[in-house]
Amino acid sequence: MLTIWWDPAADGPTNMAADECLAAEAERRDSLLMRFYDWSTTTISLGGFQKLEDARHVDEIGGIPLVRRPSGGGAIVHGSDLTYAAAVPKSHPWGASPQILYDALHGAMVETLAEHGVRAWLWPVDGAALSRADAAVGHLVAAEADAAGFFCFDRRAAGDLVMAGPAEGGFTKIMGSAQRRLAGVVLQHGSLLLQSNAGLTGAARHLGVADLIVEQPVSEPLPERAGLSRAWVRRLARSLGGSFQEEAAFSSAHQQEIATVAARFREDRWMARR
Amino acid sequence: MAADLKFAKTHEWVRSEASGVHTVGISSYAVEALTDLVFMQLPAVGKRVKAGESFGEIESVKAVSDLYAPISGEIIEVNSALPGKLDTLGKDPYGEGWVVRIKADNPADLDSLLDREAYESLVGSQPH
Repeated sequence: MLTIWWDPAADGPTNMAADECLAAEAERRDSLLMRFYDWSTTTISLGGFQKLEDARHVDEIGGIPLVRRPSGGGAIVHGSDLTYAAAVPKSHPWGASPQILYDALHGAMVETLAEHGVRAWLWPVDGAALSRADAAVGHLVAAEADAAGFFCFDRRAAGDLVMAGPAEGGFTKIMGSAQRRLAGVVLQHGSLLLQSNAGLTGAARHLGVADLIVEQPVSEPLPERAGLSRAWVRRLARSLGGSFQEEAAFSSAHQQEIATVAARFREDRWMARR
Repeated sequence: MAADLKFAKTHEWVRSEASGVHTVGISSYAVEALTDLVFMQLPAVGKRVKAGESFGEIESVKAVSDLYAPISGEIIEVNSALPGKLDTLGKDPYGEGWVVRIKADNPADLDSLLDREAYESLVGSQPH
């Protein structure tokens, strides 16, 4: 059974703490849990081992609150994205290896977008799939991962979601995820960039789905964040062969636990760990 | 994979030396599953660890994984060259790719670890 927590907007440390709580709860229940949430203000989440100093050197993000995730990957500016966390017990088939979980979640998003006529692919884009879909779109990109960029959406790893766009190789990344693999459970953070953040410029500004479908006729308007999340969840539940249930999350039973853990995510020691 | 190794379910291996020191590393299965390693954080020499608790972290392109101590004890040596040449973990995971050496508090901790056959069975049952 897939269980979904829909949460209200919160600050970065509270969201990271709620995700840790989600992971602990998934391990306790031995069941797959997902959480969808928003941010009380535009926030940058850093990957678990990104250098804090590197964030200080990006002028375009000066003044934006930072939080450090426990998961890997690059920095994400949250605010115009669909943010999720998934917690999967390692005993679950999706928890067995990093790539299986990326592909399961991202693949379902490809199908969800396709329902609305939006063409997206898992990177690296398979040549056969590309020629079937639209031979005129871009050209194939090298399959080598690129983890050098500061921002998640400038990086490439197998299983990232891309659309035809102006980035190198003819594809622009629109969704990325990163994991924290604990002893008994995997916590996966992810972000689908719905549209570029209007408040950002330069290196910090990345194109999202709405920007990229301008040139691409879609069969029907893309639903707003909640509708898209729900359509994605339905797809995921279907691929798990079952249904899903919804719960109110950190407003209730886990509130105290989340407040305690959030204090750790606010500590300088955590933020400056690297 | 050498026959003298024991394994934790969390994919760390242990080789027991005659001196009573236990060398710990990461299995080739785990290294392969992580792919594209980019960063590793190791503990300081002298740190005390408990079996099953995290003693370090390793980051691949998309995942941060904890390294779990397979036995309790004191870390007496760290492969400090490893974070600078992470490809060693893939090239020689059971040799040059060792991670730490632990002086065990209780050698009986080893009894709860898997032998090679049981570990191969465990990873053989997991999807790739």
